[in-house]
Amino acid sequence: MSAVPDKSVEETGWAPELEELRLRREKSLGLGGKDAIDLHHSRGRLTIRERIEGLVDQGSFQEVGRLTGSGKYESGKLVSVTPAPYVMGLCNIGGRPVAVGGEDFTIRGGTSWSGDRKKGGQGGFVEDLAHQYRIPLVNLIDGAGGSVTSITRRGHSVFPGVHGFEQSVRLMGEVPVVCAVMGTAAGGPAGRAILSHFSVMVKGTSQVFAAGPPVVERSLGQKIDKEDLGGAAVAGELAGTIDQVVDTEAECFGLVRRYLSYMPQNVWELPPLARINDPVDRCEDGLATIVPRNRRRPYDMRRIVRWVADRDSVLELQPSFGKAVITSLARMNGRVVGIIANNPMVYGGAIDVKGARKQTHFIELCDCFHIPLVFLVDVPGFMVGRDAEAAATLREGMRSVYVALQATVPMYTVVVRKCYGMAGMGATDKNGLDLKIAWPSAEWGSLPIEGGVAAAFRKEIAAAANPKAREAEIEASLRADASPMRTAEAFGVEEIIDPRETRPYLCRFIDAAQSRLATSVGQKPKYGVRP
Amino acid sequence: MARVDVKSVVTGSVWKIEARVGQKLAPGDSIMILESMKMEIPLIVEDGGVLLEIRVEEGVAVSEGQVLAVVEE
Repeated sequence: MSAVPDKSVEETGWAPELEELRLRREKSLGLGGKDAIDLHHSRGRLTIRERIEGLVDQGSFQEVGRLTGSGKYESGKLVSVTPAPYVMGLCNIGGRPVAVGGEDFTIRGGTSWSGDRKKGGQGGFVEDLAHQYRIPLVNLIDGAGGSVTSITRRGHSVFPGVHGFEQSVRLMGEVPVVCAVMGTAAGGPAGRAILSHFSVMVKGTSQVFAAGPPVVERSLGQKIDKEDLGGAAVAGELAGTIDQVVDTEAECFGLVRRYLSYMPQNVWELPPLARINDPVDRCEDGLATIVPRNRRRPYDMRRIVRWVADRDSVLELQPSFGKAVITSLARMNGRVVGIIANNPMVYGGAIDVKGARKQTHFIELCDCFHIPLVFLVDVPGFMVGRDAEAAATLREGMRSVYVALQATVPMYTVVVRKCYGMAGMGATDKNGLDLKIAWPSAEWGSLPIEGGVAAAFRKEIAAAANPKAREAEIEASLRADASPMRTAEAFGVEEIIDPRETRPYLCRFIDAAQSRLATSVGQKPKYGVRP
Repeated sequence: MARVDVKSVVTGSVWKIEARVGQKLAPGDSIMILESMKMEIPLIVEDGGVLLEIRVEEGVAVSEGQVLAVVEE
């Protein structure tokens, strides 16, 4: 045989190979086959390809690794391919490049696949893409992780961390990472979901846990179905394991896109500016009357958030977890801000363990991506009582104070009503400008007067002819001296404003902070030990 | 028509019941006022509906997540 192809082969050119390439691509589009796809659909779930299509800018998906899988050959000729159970690549979201990937549940339940290089999950090409190009990463998680059957396949058992989380962890300080749990995630994929800045799950069709029902039954003798173990009610609302719960997969894609619209591409850039036609000097009259004079009456803090921020710009995060604190991404004069507002409807705004955890995460998130923080403060302190102490509210509360004191992003404090104690201090920019503006309804101190009087004047109250009346008398006299105007006279707060002026006042300072923000981009160093 | 449990968002006590069983409630109406952390916390029906059941009385202690009323939307 001659090494030089004969004339007829030369005329054919690369047609056979191109045909093989076409066949391989076609197989990869077919995922786990029609039956597996129909079964997957019947469970109310989309396939990984439908998910990517639903998430990304139309037609923007450039797949990487389309040929991966296991080929079947007869006499050296390819007859079929089972695709690798992971689909990933580059896409655009909101016109900006993003790395995206997800397990294909229709092939072996999305369990891991042993190629020369991992495609995704923890480690893998998709994480390298986000890391090397400094672009956001979206994981569409639908896999059960490792399987004991791999021992038979490999002939040995794998040490934990062979496919480790090191790149996943690195990404947390570099680029926005969003994980959407789209099916049942256990083990590695469940852990991967947590290593994110923002996570979403779909009510009814997503569950997430360290281990599923068979392992739970074997370990604890507990019979429980996967929805009760790690459905939205547990993972989303009770535990806050996952940040947000949505009703449909389509809603999930919309939410992920919206979340990314507030984020910079990476920590070396600032978040995108998006001006809309909403005047900086818009002063909502409702702000002047929303806080009731009766201190025992709560009000709707979310309305204040909406009135102060740019119109329709508010995205509340974790709305069903840690409800005493309301955390929202929003825009002010087009610039992204993070708003932390206390919710007087829940425990009078007292910070409980869940609220503290939520606040800690949100401060770190905003600090990491150079998003200025606005605190709308109405906090009587940390939550009190036996249950609160048993839940380590004090430790979790101090952790939120600690991260606020380590954060270097500009912060603005607006005292709407109560600002007491350590929780109140945790809502200020002590290492920065420490700008604190207050409404006339504001009150503050190391602890609320009503509790403090009984403790500090115990003897005097006990000795009075009418102790109740004496206590009320002392309270009234102290309250008069505690007027916020008097603190402003001493420049203990920088300004008392008409509540209607909140938006223009904040916008001025947020605009002025842009040079500061632009000259302090990059990774935030971490030192010390969180309490 | 769906029966919706209205749950307490706080641990505290029932201070005042404001609505009657059978009453039609608009979105945002309050069924009762709870007292917690020295604050009056209204128990609100988010989407409105007809009040089918009130499961507590004034003065009793309630815990977070407890179903206090049932509404048909």
